[in-house]
Amino acid sequence: MIRFKLAVFSLLFLLSPVFSQAAEFSGKTLTIVVGYKPGGGYDRYARLLGKHLPRYIPGNPTIVIQNMPGANSIISANHLYSVAKPDGLTIGTFNNALVVAQLIKVEGVRYDIAKFSWIGSVASDAVILALRSDLPYRTAEDLRRAKEIIIGTTGPGSSTHDFPSLLKEFAGINLKLVPGYSSSSDIMLAIERKEVDGRAGSYDSIIPFIDRGLVRPVLRNRLSVPGIEKLPVDEELATTPKGKAVMAINAAPTAIYRPYVAPPGTPADTMKVLRDAFAKVTMDRELLAEAKKTKMGIDYTPAEQVLKVIHEVLNQPPEITKELSKYIKFGD
Amino acid sequence: MFDAFIQGLFVVLQWKAFLMMLLGIFLGFWVGLLPGLGGSTTLALMLPFIYKMTPEEAFAFLLGMHSVVSTTGDITSVLFGVPGEGTTAATIVDGHAMAKKGEAGRALGAALMSSLVGAVIGALALALSIPVVRPLVLTFGAPELFMLAVVGIAFISSLSGQGGRSLLRGVLAGLLGLLFAMVGEDPQAGVQRFTLGQLYLWGGLDLVPVLVGLFAIPEIVDLAVRGTSIASDLPKGDLGKGVWEGIKDTFRHFWLTVRCSLLGTFIGIMPGLGGGVAQWIAYGHAVQGARSDEERKGFGKGDVRGVLGPGAANNSKEGGALIPTIAFGVPGSSAMAILLGAFFLQGIMPGPDMLNKYVTLTFSMVWTLVIANIITVAASLLFLAQLARLTLVRGSILIPFILFLAFIGSYTSNNHLGDLLVFLFFGGLGYLMVVCGWPRSPLVLGFVLGKIAENNFYISTIRYGSAWLLRPVVLVLVILTVAVIVYPLLPFRRTSAPAGRA
Repeated sequence: MIRFKLAVFSLLFLLSPVFSQAAEFSGKTLTIVVGYKPGGGYDRYARLLGKHLPRYIPGNPTIVIQNMPGANSIISANHLYSVAKPDGLTIGTFNNALVVAQLIKVEGVRYDIAKFSWIGSVASDAVILALRSDLPYRTAEDLRRAKEIIIGTTGPGSSTHDFPSLLKEFAGINLKLVPGYSSSSDIMLAIERKEVDGRAGSYDSIIPFIDRGLVRPVLRNRLSVPGIEKLPVDEELATTPKGKAVMAINAAPTAIYRPYVAPPGTPADTMKVLRDAFAKVTMDRELLAEAKKTKMGIDYTPAEQVLKVIHEVLNQPPEITKELSKYIKFGD
Repeated sequence: MFDAFIQGLFVVLQWKAFLMMLLGIFLGFWVGLLPGLGGSTTLALMLPFIYKMTPEEAFAFLLGMHSVVSTTGDITSVLFGVPGEGTTAATIVDGHAMAKKGEAGRALGAALMSSLVGAVIGALALALSIPVVRPLVLTFGAPELFMLAVVGIAFISSLSGQGGRSLLRGVLAGLLGLLFAMVGEDPQAGVQRFTLGQLYLWGGLDLVPVLVGLFAIPEIVDLAVRGTSIASDLPKGDLGKGVWEGIKDTFRHFWLTVRCSLLGTFIGIMPGLGGGVAQWIAYGHAVQGARSDEERKGFGKGDVRGVLGPGAANNSKEGGALIPTIAFGVPGSSAMAILLGAFFLQGIMPGPDMLNKYVTLTFSMVWTLVIANIITVAASLLFLAQLARLTLVRGSILIPFILFLAFIGSYTSNNHLGDLLVFLFFGGLGYLMVVCGWPRSPLVLGFVLGKIAENNFYISTIRYGSAWLLRPVVLVLVILTVAVIVYPLLPFRRTSAPAGRA
């Protein structure tokens, strides 16, 4: 009898590493904090992941989405940094440009983005400049020669504004920025009624209007995706090295378009479970099919690479940082 | 085209689509009643469920839910003075005042019937405007949108009450509203305005906690002070009878209801004007209909026309808001932006295709708007007499419940403590305004239109210099603004009022 008990014990002992990991999540609820209201891009990605992730986490936890909007997601980042418990049961997603907000020392930033326990990013996205198809601008040369091109934007702190404002400043293109539109689809309508000539923004969001023949892409940032590989890149048009450097920093966060983190200090074995789950779920056939239907690109970047991008952005000489903060604002 | 119109009806009546619509209606019914749950949030939450549905079922479900939210939201507004939805706050002003006079049934009947008329007219507008929608929407650029906002702000003149002193108060309240609209980061230079160093305020003040505070808290305090029920001293048993009276009111003032429905549709079509605007402009228009001083004073104290106007407009705007979404793939409101996601999910590209390839689907959406509202109004009518009796419940029992709803309703807008502080602040302000006899509607009008006016003014000036002032539609709207301001001040109206009307 004793021998039998011993055998059971030793078996349990041998199996314990497997059990303990599974026990961590089974019967628990994993919360994904989203820095925006329901319905937006960040929220839609989180809900898509929340639907498919449980199958890839041992113990199949229940996943809930908690929307924590405000201050262009700084509120949620601060929460994840200093309030949420580092037990793997709370993870979150926020604006990819929060690293830039930290670099230019935006008021209210209470996090150090490099210290989060990074899971990775589930998508990347190229930023492009698209102009109305009936306008005669096709090449970079055409753009330089243009007398004035009117660009609608939603205001400083968004790619619709920052990307063209750097082009105007550092590439000698005569753009006239008209900020104040309430959303990027509002700008599309303004393009349609010829109030403005074009807009910048994520390639994904402009594709439908390119397909419809309303606009034509003319420029992109350093990130390339199939379909726009041959477009001229903004950095190539920069007239000074300083301008080129500023454009590069501005472009960096788009490589980590949909970032996911856990609070700093989350145990390494828990992080491994989460990272594995994200790596696997972004290859899941069902998830990919659903993402394709809803026009959400999926492109997983593992934590190490995300951190590389982040350190690259943060390690700037002061004069570049200063220059950047002149043209880039971070806001809601 | 007519064939497709009829086919659209049959699409909705297929048992699966119909069942989905009923499910949507059931959800929307509660979402509307409860102040905490907003229509667009719920839409976002329901999106994953349509993955396996056909487009016909999916839109019957989503639109069925979305189109009844403003209808049942009016019920909460009337009964408790707490807006069931951000889009149903204007119904409080006269609707809740009627409830306090013991006319809850009549107010509810009027709110529901006008909602139905509004929904039908909005849906008709959607069906009829399909061929002409592109030029219509494209005529309204930033300058025209700015002027529309100005026309809206001009309604302060009729919302202020008579006499120089009242007018001054109204204008000041309106300016205060504009000032509150400026809170947050400005979209032109990225400067923080009135954010008091708080991250919470970056995005500006949210409509829901502001409205709930402004209207609910004064009512709660009033109820507590009176120590009675909402409808204080009344012979019991009269409440239910009013429902039929309220339905008749809708047809007694049928042209007003139709005009406000059209107003709502038009505002819905204009992208970027937002759901909060239609109801208030419609309310302003309803007040304009007063023919004498006496009548003017009646508004805010329980004139049924003050219920009919916003009741119709907040439903008709849904049909209108679908128009740019369908025709351009450009959403007219946040709910429509989420609906656009549903189109993608179903593999449908909104745009010209909706008018030929998917025209049957488009018409099935029109029918969903109509049928969902008919069902909701019919179902609500069954309960109305019971619901109206809530106004006879003792205040001390009702107050905790109303407070709870008001707090939850405010908190869900950002899930942030700041929501509650904003709610309490505007509650205090609202109470002060009521005590001192200042009108609250102009403040709300300024608040909901402030940002629209500012942004479009800026865009117009940067884009066109001063040339935009001479655009034909702008000129027409300038004349309209003057008319809106001057009309309630004209002296002949005061003398020519037929005697004995109240």
